[in-house]
Amino acid sequence: MLATSQSRGSYKPSQSTIVLGVTLVLFVALSLALPGFASLGNLFTLARNISILGILALGMAVVVIGRGIDLSQIATLACSAAIAITLIDDGWSAFSAIGSGLLLSVAIGIANGFLVSVIEIPALFTTLASGLLVLGVTRALVVPHYQVFLKPGHDWLLKLGGTVMGGLPVPVIAFVICALIVHLFLSRTVLGHFIYAHGDNAQAARLSGMATRPLTMFEYAICSGIGYIGGVIMVGSTAIMHLQIAESTLIFDVILVVVLGGVSLVGGRGNVLSVIAGTLLIGVLLNAMTIMNLDIQTQDMIKGAVLLMAITLDSYIHPRDEETAKQGD
Amino acid sequence: MSGLKRITGWMHAGLGALIGCAIIASTIDAAKAADPRAELYQKFEKAVRGKTVAWVPVWLGVLESEWTRVMKAHFDDYGVKLVVRDPNFKSDVQLQAVSSLINDKPDILIVQNPTTTLLARELKRAMESGIKVIQINMASNQLTDAYVGADVPKLGRSLAEELVKACGGGKGSGKVAILQGEATAAYSLDMTKAATEALSADKSIKIVSSQPTNWDANKAADVTTNVLQQNPDLCGILSVWGPMTAGAAQAVKNAGKQGQVKIFVASDGQPADCDMVEQGLFTKNLSYRADTQGEAIVNAVLTLLQDSRPAGATQLAYYTTNYWVSGKDDRQFCFVVPKE
Repeated sequence: MLATSQSRGSYKPSQSTIVLGVTLVLFVALSLALPGFASLGNLFTLARNISILGILALGMAVVVIGRGIDLSQIATLACSAAIAITLIDDGWSAFSAIGSGLLLSVAIGIANGFLVSVIEIPALFTTLASGLLVLGVTRALVVPHYQVFLKPGHDWLLKLGGTVMGGLPVPVIAFVICALIVHLFLSRTVLGHFIYAHGDNAQAARLSGMATRPLTMFEYAICSGIGYIGGVIMVGSTAIMHLQIAESTLIFDVILVVVLGGVSLVGGRGNVLSVIAGTLLIGVLLNAMTIMNLDIQTQDMIKGAVLLMAITLDSYIHPRDEETAKQGD
Repeated sequence: MSGLKRITGWMHAGLGALIGCAIIASTIDAAKAADPRAELYQKFEKAVRGKTVAWVPVWLGVLESEWTRVMKAHFDDYGVKLVVRDPNFKSDVQLQAVSSLINDKPDILIVQNPTTTLLARELKRAMESGIKVIQINMASNQLTDAYVGADVPKLGRSLAEELVKACGGGKGSGKVAILQGEATAAYSLDMTKAATEALSADKSIKIVSSQPTNWDANKAADVTTNVLQQNPDLCGILSVWGPMTAGAAQAVKNAGKQGQVKIFVASDGQPADCDMVEQGLFTKNLSYRADTQGEAIVNAVLTLLQDSRPAGATQLAYYTTNYWVSGKDDRQFCFVVPKE
């Protein structure tokens, strides 16, 4: 990306800039056309509704930048969070229950990374299978009916889904904190740079002395761990964990948000801004369509059309070549 | 020709009568005078024991597990074999399961339709090959030997009437929202349609939102937060299913509007739904009680097994009764999930 813009000597906006632009245009148009859209309260609502998706996308972005993919992310977070709630309901202390869930999700991430890097099974198959395995085992042993309710009396956990300081939703704060940490990690730490290097050219990264196998495990562990944070916030918002989300299209929404903003599936490209851009576009769309109370067919048409537009615009500004080609092009 | 036929017919009848007499004579010998009560039991045993019932739900959620539990308890007692296939919400798997079960030729096939069309052709094929078919909680476009379940449009109408009572006629802003399930699920579509019609009939009610939530508590919470943001004076919510509504209720609570926004939910009677009413998160549930529905399914099976007519001869309906749950005293209308 950097190379092309230098060689042509002209400014080329990145994909995230384009998506942000599209979002901005949509936002202005909707503010003019839709009463109640541009109010502060609605902006908080909009931000709250996308913050969980955004958090999950941050985790996924780390793996995708390292040229991987984690299809088991939702299953892992749903099962770890469901097990954590079960423990809380059984009278465990909050710290140990939530902590056990986190350890479990990180362990699943490390196992994914191990299978991908040491056994060398393609990430797509590994995580597809591990997601099913995790879901099946959890359902058989812990959550037979797919859903766990948080028993009443744990209001501290429900605060995670509430608001502070006159309407600022806690999930949004969590998203901002996660985004900041992931941003600093990816751009300021050696390990963060290693992940880019690993995604850009795994072979070269390895030959230059990086321990790519532990690095892969680390990437998947981050993805699962951040996903688990999203899962705990889900519980805070709804007081229920329904394992069915593991089989819903949520995982594709997460990948869509990641890819839309410019975190390429070939790895090594994109950053936290990409994730935020993709999340915002989806958020503005969903919020406006809910306010307009559109039926589901119209919603699908609009969603599809806007996504195609964003992608078309990107491919017009960035014509495909060897360097920028993406998997599946 | 016809004369000859008639004579042979008489001969057959005569022979039949003779054999009949012989059998009766020997039975009287064996069992002294035939006890009509014992005979009834023997007839029942003969019709029921050793028969096979195949059951394909959409998945084994709380509701379906309760049906299955009740069925299994009764069938074990009667000596009926129950075969369960769990397609886990995947419609292609469900279709395959039904197709392969038809080839296994059970005596009764029970299905829970995900849509009005998915299984319709296979259900017809099942009846043509002599298998009696019972449909649960949602009939497909193909009517079969029996239907057992809630009258879904009636559920929608009853919930709407209650909502009008709470929010209509100036007793509130009159603004209401509907939370649908999945956009293509007929259970959700039918209920939403009936509720919308009933709500629209009242001039003081305004439906400000009617959105699908894909049975997801998070989506329901998001939609509700959104609707409350746009309509802070929202008066009521009508929802087609309990677990996803838990998310909506938390969103109402987070907005500080618990009590102001009345929440009316169609429920299968799962324990969590009664909990939610007792915690004041739901205003009222309309429960169709999975446990008694399970018994209605068993009754339909017994009826069809004892009916000597072939598959497709009748179209029985067992519409189940709905019960309002509005507090602790109505706990009986929720079932108890036994510890395994």
